[in-house]
Amino acid sequence: MSDISGTRFPDDVPRDPMLVEDAGLAYDEAIVATRTPSPYRRALQRLRRDKPAVAALAFLVLLMLAAVFAPLVVPHRPDDIGIAEPFSTSSFQTPFGADNLGRDVFSRIIYGARVSLSSGFEIVFLALLAAVPIGLLAGFRGGRTDNLLMRLMDALASFPPLVLALAVVAFLGPGLQNAVLAIAIVVIPGFARLIRAQTLAVRQETFIEASRAMGTKPGRIRRKRILPNVASPLIVAVSLAMGAALLAEAGLSMLGYGVSPSKPSWGSMIQAGRGHIYEHPWQVFVPSLALVFTILAFNILGDGVRDALGLGLPKGNQKIKGRLGLTTVTRPEGQPEPSPATEDALLRVSDLSVEFLTDAGPATVVDKVSFEVAPGEMLGIVGESGSGKTVTSLAVMRLVPSPPGRIVSGSVMFEDQDLLTLSLGEMRKVRGDEIAMVFQDPMTSLNPVFTVGTQLVDTIRLHRKMSKREARTRAVELLEMVDIPDPQARLKDYPHQLSGGMRQRVLLALALSCEPRLLIADEPTTALDVTVQAQILDLLRSLQSKLDMAVILVTHDLGVIADFCSRVVVMYAGQVVEEGSVEDLFAHPQHPYTEGLLAATPQVAEHDERLTSIPGVVPDPIAMPTGCRFHPRCPYAIPECASSPVELRPAREQRRARCIRVDDLSLQGAR
Amino acid sequence: MLALIARRVASLVPILFIVSTVVFLLIELVPGDAATTVAGGADATPERIAEVRKHLGLDRPLLERYVDWLGDAVQLDFGTSLLNPDGPTIVEELEVRIPITFSIAIAGLFLSVLVGVPLGMLSGLRPGAAIDRASVTATSLGLAIPSFVVGLFLITTFALDRDWFPARGYTEFGEDPWEWLRSITLPAIAIGLFAAAAVARQVRAAIIDALQSNYVRTALSVGTSTHKTVAKYALKNAAIPAVTVLGLQLSGLLGGVVIIEQIFSIPGMGTYMLRALSAPDVPVVQAVVFTFVVINVLINLVVDISYGYLNPRVRVS
Repeated sequence: MSDISGTRFPDDVPRDPMLVEDAGLAYDEAIVATRTPSPYRRALQRLRRDKPAVAALAFLVLLMLAAVFAPLVVPHRPDDIGIAEPFSTSSFQTPFGADNLGRDVFSRIIYGARVSLSSGFEIVFLALLAAVPIGLLAGFRGGRTDNLLMRLMDALASFPPLVLALAVVAFLGPGLQNAVLAIAIVVIPGFARLIRAQTLAVRQETFIEASRAMGTKPGRIRRKRILPNVASPLIVAVSLAMGAALLAEAGLSMLGYGVSPSKPSWGSMIQAGRGHIYEHPWQVFVPSLALVFTILAFNILGDGVRDALGLGLPKGNQKIKGRLGLTTVTRPEGQPEPSPATEDALLRVSDLSVEFLTDAGPATVVDKVSFEVAPGEMLGIVGESGSGKTVTSLAVMRLVPSPPGRIVSGSVMFEDQDLLTLSLGEMRKVRGDEIAMVFQDPMTSLNPVFTVGTQLVDTIRLHRKMSKREARTRAVELLEMVDIPDPQARLKDYPHQLSGGMRQRVLLALALSCEPRLLIADEPTTALDVTVQAQILDLLRSLQSKLDMAVILVTHDLGVIADFCSRVVVMYAGQVVEEGSVEDLFAHPQHPYTEGLLAATPQVAEHDERLTSIPGVVPDPIAMPTGCRFHPRCPYAIPECASSPVELRPAREQRRARCIRVDDLSLQGAR
Repeated sequence: MLALIARRVASLVPILFIVSTVVFLLIELVPGDAATTVAGGADATPERIAEVRKHLGLDRPLLERYVDWLGDAVQLDFGTSLLNPDGPTIVEELEVRIPITFSIAIAGLFLSVLVGVPLGMLSGLRPGAAIDRASVTATSLGLAIPSFVVGLFLITTFALDRDWFPARGYTEFGEDPWEWLRSITLPAIAIGLFAAAAVARQVRAAIIDALQSNYVRTALSVGTSTHKTVAKYALKNAAIPAVTVLGLQLSGLLGGVVIIEQIFSIPGMGTYMLRALSAPDVPVVQAVVFTFVVINVLINLVVDISYGYLNPRVRVS
């Protein structure tokens, strides 16, 4: 998970506090720190803000009430003939007009709702009755049971719903009950597959395994643990299936195989009106409209619930204008002109702030961050997940997606150019050629459907005028440079054919293809095995000196910083809390957070010393603590720490620290 | 790739076996004595009942009948209609009618791609923008309006009020290509609307998903233009789920044609089936259902294979 998604939940906090409590695991501290309303209550709040969904729900509730209490609601009995002139239009007596026998259309519509809604519910209920056990069993048992059940579902799903329904009705005899049964059968596979997929996913979660290990019976696990987790997507599917069920019922009735034509149903009313559609389109229009509105309402409600539960696509945010591939910059007027990077700096980031618009309002994820990188230097940026280090590095490249993010203050001077003023076209010339980036997840950072060769050749030809053949030669050189054996053959490979370490080497080759002067490596080894980590880092170091480029190494691992970097910036909750040379900072940390990180790092702490962890978690950017952002977790906190924000102030020997007790604390460094 | 195709084809065998069993067993649903019911109930003459019993093979044991039926079905022999035993065989009827039903379904699919893909791309590229909100609203409506309602209003508007298209009937392509096109246009629009909305939604979701991916970020980070990022890198990935939904839509369209054929009085498979329902004409209904299922299974096969073509991860594993 990247820091971007971490804006809502820090990585190490279980996403769903409810689940953790349920499993009885001791995550108490984490839960206390992020005590949030239950996910369902939160979803309900979100749903309430979704106006179309609320309107749809209101419409459906009204319709259901009207259907249930139809005899009380309607002005006439639905089959009383001669209420008005045949085909007469709207009147006080007959608000929707009258049909060919002078029956009141309004009354028939309300009675039709009874048929439509009840058969819709029956279809979904019957289908669930079969699908829930099938899906749970297949997902939970796996293996042969799963295979057999899923083949059966495949077979059922290959019957076209209406055709099977017609056949069943033909053989079983016409009638709504038979039609309902037939449609339900065809709905089963969709539900069963969904439940199975969900069960499979949940089954692999740790708390289920814990539960199993503790000896809970499988049946109980299915009922108590898995079913609640399957519920969310199922609610959505049910709502959408209701629409489909209504459609199928109406279709059958319209063909004359559902409700007997004398009974009022929307389908049979459309069928009856067909004969007069040219002279009296109203006769078809009214029941059609009832059908369309009801299906629409179920669909809108389903979409709304899905969004509220966070299962759908994130909604685009209209408040931030943006385009793909370039972070929007909205700096306040009258900001001082940034001074160009000093002679000994290649990159100078000053007062950089990045804001994300979330459901709960704007969250400043990066807050007035400043640092410099000298040519050829290796700078480390360190911090926990959620500290803003990844967003900072993405912001330098203007790669924070807008929306939801945007840069709200500061400057990023690369030599004498402020990157925050560039257009997309200008920025493209910088990316890859001057500054390149390696990301933390080699598994997903390469395009899965193109070969390594294509991806390398395309990249090389972006900045260098070369023929495809020349670019291929260059690609082989690059793969050799990152120590990939048999590079010629690897060009034809797809990313999934390579190991994680190999993929990270390919990404490195991609980033270095045009010999950039600055490489930003964002946790390049986090996803890799320990032995591979060391290889990649060694490679990075040798390439750095060979190509004489500056490197920003973003990591949560102080051990890596100690081995590779000369200077380090420590970030916490979106701010720089301390900065200095590696040697000095490790020996004499001036911020309690740094001390805590050092004590938690195995390579740095003494062998016989107990590793400690920092209690608590990185705060939610929406609810930052007042005063010093670290004070709730700080062992040295005094009341003043909470009173007002703490400035980053210079300390001795080009150090900076953000702590008001910097002078009276003597913190423990690495020895 | 060949191994993939072979594996997929092999996996069809159990599915086809299950569905053919289900189709065969449909007749067991008939309440009471099937031969009597099918022959017309209590009013039927004993001769007619005996005739029906023989035609359906109900005088023989179930298992024997099943083996025979399966053997014939494999050779595409469904026998003759119960109501018109001396007329054309069921297969001869199907040969005429399948192309009709397919013409409409394929035309509907064509329309849905023509409208759905660009619409989904436009809205997926700018989620939340005005065009996206308009398209989401339009697709919601498209998913809620039943095809037969669309069909009825298309007929009044474009066939009765204005004489642009025929209100009913079907013209063979071989007879008059222009008239053929005119005769399938309205039915295709009527069933294509829902499919277009579904395709647009899927394409939108796929594009949004691809644009948020890490590989798109990698492409942008080396300086690739947004145009190329979208048109080359994101689109090929987005095509994978889109192809699946197209297959699903074609299945849905074929099933939906049954109703539309009624609305437009088109002599396709649906009309054939509906005509056979009232008796019921057992062999015809079984043959039509079986044909629909086999076509669906074949569509899924094609989708699976094209999936493998688009997605290299499937090809190898």
